[in-house]
Order: sequence, then C-alpha cells, then structure tokens
Amino acid sequence: MGWQKIYRINIIYVFHSSKRITAQGVTEEKNMARNGMDNREAGEQTKEIFISAFKTTIPVLLGYIPLGMAFGLLLDGAGYHWIYAFLMSLFVYAGSGQFLAVALLVAGAGITEFVVATLLLNFRHAFYGLSLLEKFSGVGKVKPYLIFALTDETYALLTTTEVPQSSSKSRFYFYIAALDHFYWIAGSVLGAVIGSMLDLNLEGMSFVLTALFVVLTIEQYFNSETRFPFLAALGAGALSLILFSPDNMLLASIILGTLILIGREKSMQGIHTKKVIRQINASVQPVEDKIKKES
Amino acid sequence: MTDTLQMLVTIAVIALATFATRILPFMCFGSREPPAMLSVIEKNLPPMILLLLVVYCLKDVQWLAAPYGIPELFTIGIVAGLHFWKRNAMLSIFTGTALYMALVQFHVFSFL
Repeated sequence: MGWQKIYRINIIYVFHSSKRITAQGVTEEKNMARNGMDNREAGEQTKEIFISAFKTTIPVLLGYIPLGMAFGLLLDGAGYHWIYAFLMSLFVYAGSGQFLAVALLVAGAGITEFVVATLLLNFRHAFYGLSLLEKFSGVGKVKPYLIFALTDETYALLTTTEVPQSSSKSRFYFYIAALDHFYWIAGSVLGAVIGSMLDLNLEGMSFVLTALFVVLTIEQYFNSETRFPFLAALGAGALSLILFSPDNMLLASIILGTLILIGREKSMQGIHTKKVIRQINASVQPVEDKIKKES
Repeated sequence: MTDTLQMLVTIAVIALATFATRILPFMCFGSREPPAMLSVIEKNLPPMILLLLVVYCLKDVQWLAAPYGIPELFTIGIVAGLHFWKRNAMLSIFTGTALYMALVQFHVFSFL
C-alpha cells in the first residue's frame, strides 16, 4: 500500500532526527560529566526520554502525515511552490489555521482579513495556555518553543501524559512538541512535493486523531475526581454543533463550556458561603442566648 | 518578486497572529498571580477541552443524511469500550483507526 512507503520515509526521518537529538544529548552529557555526573547514564536517560516521547506521539505521527499532506496538496493545487508549505508549517504550525490561510489566499484576501480570521480561529489556544500556566512554570528555556508549538494535539498529549519517572519534564515536553511539529512539516512538504503524483487511499486515516482524543478524554476521566467538566463539555459541544458553523464551533464551545464552569463554581461558592454563615449563626446563637439570660 | 515578498509577509502575519493567541495567557499571568477563580477553572479545563475536541472531530458529519454519522459513532464506541476494558492507548487508537478506514473505504454502511 502506498502510505506504507511514506510511513517508511518518515521513519527514516525520525531516526535521522533521533540521531541528531542524541548527538545534542552527547554534548550536554559532556557538560554533565564535568559536573561530576556519570557520562553513560545521562546519555542513556536522554535516549530513554526521547523514546518514550516518540511512543507517546506515534498516533500524532499517523494523524499529521495525512493531514499535513492534505494541506500541502491544497497549497500546491492553488499554485504555490512547496517551499511555502514548508515555511508555513515551520513558522505558523496551526492545522486548521493553515487550511483557512489557503482558502483566503485563493480568495485573494487582504492582510487585515488574514489577521482577523487567524485570531478568531486560533483564539482557543489562549484557553489552552490558561490551563498550562502551572505546568509550564519551571520548564526553563524551552518555554517559548512549547508555547509556540501548542497545537490541539500537543496540548492534549501534554495535559494527559505523565512525565516518565526520574526524567526531566522540560526535555520530555520539548521532545513531544518538537516531534509533533516535525511530523506536521514532513507531512505538508510530502503533500506539496509528491502528493499529486501518488494515488493513495488515505481516506479515514485522520480518524487516528479522533481516536487519540477519545482515549485521552477517558484517561482524563480516570484521573479527575470531578465529573462536571465532562457534562459541561457535552452540553456546550452539542449546543455549539447545532448553533454554530463547523468553522466556529470549537471556539464557541470552549467559551460556552468555560462560562458553564465559572457559573457552576460561582454558585457552589454561593452555597458554601451561605452554609458557613448559617454555621456561624448557629454557633453564635446559643452564646447570644446565654448572654441575654445572664443579663 | 513582489509576489514572493507579499507571500512572505502574509506568512509572517499569520505566524505572528497565531503565536499571539498562544502566548496571550502567559503574557497576562506571567508575572502576577492569577485570580483564585482561574486556578479552579485551570484544573477543569483540560478534561472539558479534550471532550470538546472529540465533539469537534464530528463537526463535518452529516447527521441527517445516510449513513447518519453511524461509522463515526460506532467506531468511537469501539475505541471507548476497548479503552475502558484494556486501557492500552495504542491498541484502542489503532484498532479504531483501522476499523474506521475499513468502514469508510469499503462503504460498509452503504445499505443505510
């Protein structure tokens, strides 16, 4: 089957990049050795973190290749050189944002339209960052890159996957983010360069990302003690599917869901405050009665 | 030449706009303590957003025309069931994807 060919090419790329990153690890290893750490151990650990990050991202690899190829094909079909597919995937790195950009390019939109449409479509990312403030504090110098590379899929992996024991959080996160980024670039360049020459039947393959989200949602279900966020999501999601166009529904549903969460929190706090006041009243009452009696 | 320049400027603009949406919360709450309400929301956002991403994946399904979204819902059911049972992420994801590809490529639900 055709896509196996692409898959194999990708594996070669991945191995290539793994060598490169391991080579970086070796330099760091030397520094560590200077600090008195065991040489071999540090290198082994880097490799282990990389391998577990790679395993975590395999579903994204299988999802980003066909999606990236679809984007590359689309841009190629609109008459643009493959280098632009590469540049966009490298510097923009936003799946749906790039598809939208192709549509706007074809329509001959002006710069303002690009800015407004991109801000609106990608504003959901701001909510992703909100829930990562704590996780990203203390990741050091990779933080700007992690923020830049925060796609839906990387967000899903970072919020749900546990950092393997005794490994550095920043390095594990960085590998996940960089690998996903790399798959996306590889997919879009492949699509733009050879996509039109291949006759592949990848129909349905991007369902791998749906399956990934389903699995990660269930993991969140196992890990969280409250069930309310899931109810909020079902309500907000169903409502947004009905009320909003497919392009707008994700941002709309995230805003709606967040409002539901805030509303619930406010009302819970209200109930809690009332309870506390009642308790205070109840404990003050006997004392007051006593004072009255005594006087 | 001007076309190339225009394309590069457009890409730069889209890249900056996208990055702005991603860095915004870190700019707002980078130095000062986020409000108390936010820390409660912060914990509840990931489970909610992940389920919303699942819903989002179904955004283009035609519910009122054959096959009425049945391939998608059926496969999601299989993935979820398998994951609750075995809790093996790779097994659930790849079984589901292979099943879905077979369902849509061989038009299994075309009798509907």
